[in-house]
Amino acid sequence: MPSRLDQELVDLSTAAQAYAARHQFIPDFAYPAGIRIAVNFTLDFDAMLLRRLLGEPPMQLAKGEFGGRVGIWRLIELFDAHGVKATIFTPGRICELYPQALRAAVKSGHEIADHMWEHRVPKEAALEEDHLARTVAALEAVSGRRPLGTRSTHSAALLRQYGYIYRSDGSADQRPHYTFDADGGNCLVDLPFHYVIDDAMFFNFNWLGSDTAAQRITDPEHVFDIWWAAFRQQYREGGYLNICMHPFVSGRALRVAMLDRLIARMKSLPGVWFPTCEQVARHCLEQFPPRGGTV
Amino acid sequence: MPWKERYTISDEKSLGDDEVRWPDDQRCCVGITVDLSVAAGPEGIRAADLATPEALFGANQGLSALRALLQRHGLRATFAVPAAIAHIHADTIRALAAEGHEIAAHGFRHEDTSGLERDREREGIARTTEILGDIIGHPPAGWFSLPRQGDRYATGAISGNTMDLLIEAGYVYMGNSPADDIPHYWVTDFATRRAILVLPYYYHFDDQFFLMFPRRGTGLEHPEALLRNWRCEFDAQYKRGRYFQMTVHPHHIGWCNRLQLLDDFCAYLCGFPGLWNPTGAECARYWRETYPASASLHLEPSLWHDHPGSLS
Repeated sequence: MPSRLDQELVDLSTAAQAYAARHQFIPDFAYPAGIRIAVNFTLDFDAMLLRRLLGEPPMQLAKGEFGGRVGIWRLIELFDAHGVKATIFTPGRICELYPQALRAAVKSGHEIADHMWEHRVPKEAALEEDHLARTVAALEAVSGRRPLGTRSTHSAALLRQYGYIYRSDGSADQRPHYTFDADGGNCLVDLPFHYVIDDAMFFNFNWLGSDTAAQRITDPEHVFDIWWAAFRQQYREGGYLNICMHPFVSGRALRVAMLDRLIARMKSLPGVWFPTCEQVARHCLEQFPPRGGTV
Repeated sequence: MPWKERYTISDEKSLGDDEVRWPDDQRCCVGITVDLSVAAGPEGIRAADLATPEALFGANQGLSALRALLQRHGLRATFAVPAAIAHIHADTIRALAAEGHEIAAHGFRHEDTSGLERDREREGIARTTEILGDIIGHPPAGWFSLPRQGDRYATGAISGNTMDLLIEAGYVYMGNSPADDIPHYWVTDFATRRAILVLPYYYHFDDQFFLMFPRRGTGLEHPEALLRNWRCEFDAQYKRGRYFQMTVHPHHIGWCNRLQLLDDFCAYLCGFPGLWNPTGAECARYWRETYPASASLHLEPSLWHDHPGSLS
């Protein structure tokens, strides 16, 4: 009979091991010849949907609206000017609110991926599937292709059932890696992002429900320095960078100018690849297929 | 849902840079808002907020210094003035108007009206309009609902009725909307295209969120971040030929090094040719004439379908 303290150690170890077992890293991760780093620019295009879902007041919704009527257009223009292919994580409902912008993004070759139906994952299984199916149909109607990736907490089983191959969430490893269900099934590529490389963490008042006293709004030059330092470190390592942005935040003129400078500086180095998330996920699956488990 | 009601307030796409034109082929519009409210939070200006060294400084030395600075740079501003402040400082308000600045309304006591019944809110707008009108000799053309340091959100609080009541009260424009970075229309009724012109505001260009924010404490003074936001936004908007907007408070920006920062920034700004620096009312009148809602507001019918288990 283990002592109380020994039992606590067993419980803690079990929890850590079970979580670790659901992740599989790719220690020998590498790119095709000539490429040192992949940079994924990912846009979470929720505009005012999340604000609406949280029941926030009119001016908060209007703040999000900037992303749809102004920000998304500017970012598409910026990426196109640099030959960057971005991935736009799009809630299904956005297809009804901003179809023109999405059609323009598709025409430019950007990837339209899943960001839930209305920016939430219902707890009820049947409703969760209803939301996912609606999102797949809406994104397919606007882009001509079924989505292959998501930024959400939708269940992996459901995602696999609908043909998804990747999720972009979390920061368990700096390189792309695999996640599995507890029983080793439903493998997905995970394209990690970190909140430090998320525009809203620096520029959006009340992000993630943080209170007024916690706000420290910063400026584009400060963020440029942080993101450039992150890029440089990963560039040296032959790693990966996923820059998470929101059109209502990064579509502001002062930040588009900062991103323009950042991309230009990245491009001044050899071997920088700006693919869609789908391209990185496919590269992983083809060159470094997951070991074991049911894929 | 015939329109994207309760989601969006304007059309699907803003004007592109090449579609924005300013009078006399000027290159960029510069709008300066001076907020004379000293409200700490949603309840608006309380007696205690006025009985502070900061409020006294803001109404005297801080304001005088700011006026002199604007005059030195030849810049005009729109003063967002709560009725209570106008009542207390009526002579100052008249003097500001005489200097070429605009006096706009900023609530009765800059209170949060989002929970008010429509009639109560209408009453507040009417009384505020009357008080300001008596002092400046004509009804104010513009109305502001700017945020306060103690607010939950940094966007300004209005109710679902505010914009409609402002149209009803004859306002030419509303002074702060975050949905665009040029003037735009805030639609209150899709069927009739009833809309009010709104001017852009963004809290990243508002001094109160950088200077000893959210209250006195260690390491909370970030004038350099404020300056960089102003400069980066101005540079970008000037290049695009759009609109640069900044908001200052005499009791924040008027204090020594901060005043110098504003002085330096205004000197930088005024070094660029082709700036148009109208008051809010001048800008709104120009915009309404050049880009009337009847011709420039493109409201696409909604594709929306309600589903069980989804937001309507």
